[in-house]
Amino acid sequence: MKILYFAKLKQHIGKSSDSIKISGEKRIYEVINELKKKDIKYMRAFEAVKNLQYAVNCEYVEVEGIVKDKDELAIFPPVTGG
Amino acid sequence: MKIYFQKKSFFTQDNFDKFSKVNKTAGSIISFVGKVRPISNNKKIVDIEIEIYKKMAILQINKIISMLLNKYKVLDYLIIHRFGKVKPQENILLIIVASEHRKEGFRFIEDLVDWLKIKITFWKKENYINDYAWVEQKEKDRKILVKN
Repeated sequence: MKILYFAKLKQHIGKSSDSIKISGEKRIYEVINELKKKDIKYMRAFEAVKNLQYAVNCEYVEVEGIVKDKDELAIFPPVTGG
Repeated sequence: MKIYFQKKSFFTQDNFDKFSKVNKTAGSIISFVGKVRPISNNKKIVDIEIEIYKKMAILQINKIISMLLNKYKVLDYLIIHRFGKVKPQENILLIIVASEHRKEGFRFIEDLVDWLKIKITFWKKENYINDYAWVEQKEKDRKILVKN
């Protein structure tokens, strides 16, 4: 599964994307918990950036949302366009 | 009915004139230009960097526009939103809307900008002389969620 990071979260993690393998279905918070275990940088990044938002295949979802291996998950702070 | 997300700058007058010429049956053409302020958080802005998740921004803005077209009788629109580095006083956003009557156009623009601020995947970072800050989404910007 492709995971994309944007803005402040991307800056804290130090890269814009990851590719991970997941079997079956997972909740987004479960994916994040796995990322946090991967590296202290992820742990710090997810603690530092509050009110994160999530999108699966470009549609907003909650942190309880389900992802599969073929999905594109995006994680980012609240948007500030306009 | 066009949307552009682009790095390069744009000329408001050229776009307005072309748009106005094409929309012969409109009784109202309204434009809105969003610009970079020179000062923020009491600090002088050197430039701002606008990051985009383009694929999602396109999908989300199309959803919002189709909702607004159901709500307001709008004949045509042009939207340009820049990303990348933008300097103070430069244009970030241009919206031009053609409608039969002015009220529909004003409401379309106001609602679209409100939705842009909370749903379209752009993020702004302000660079000052000695430091920087990511722009935070404001509580007042989320009022559109209550309104709808």
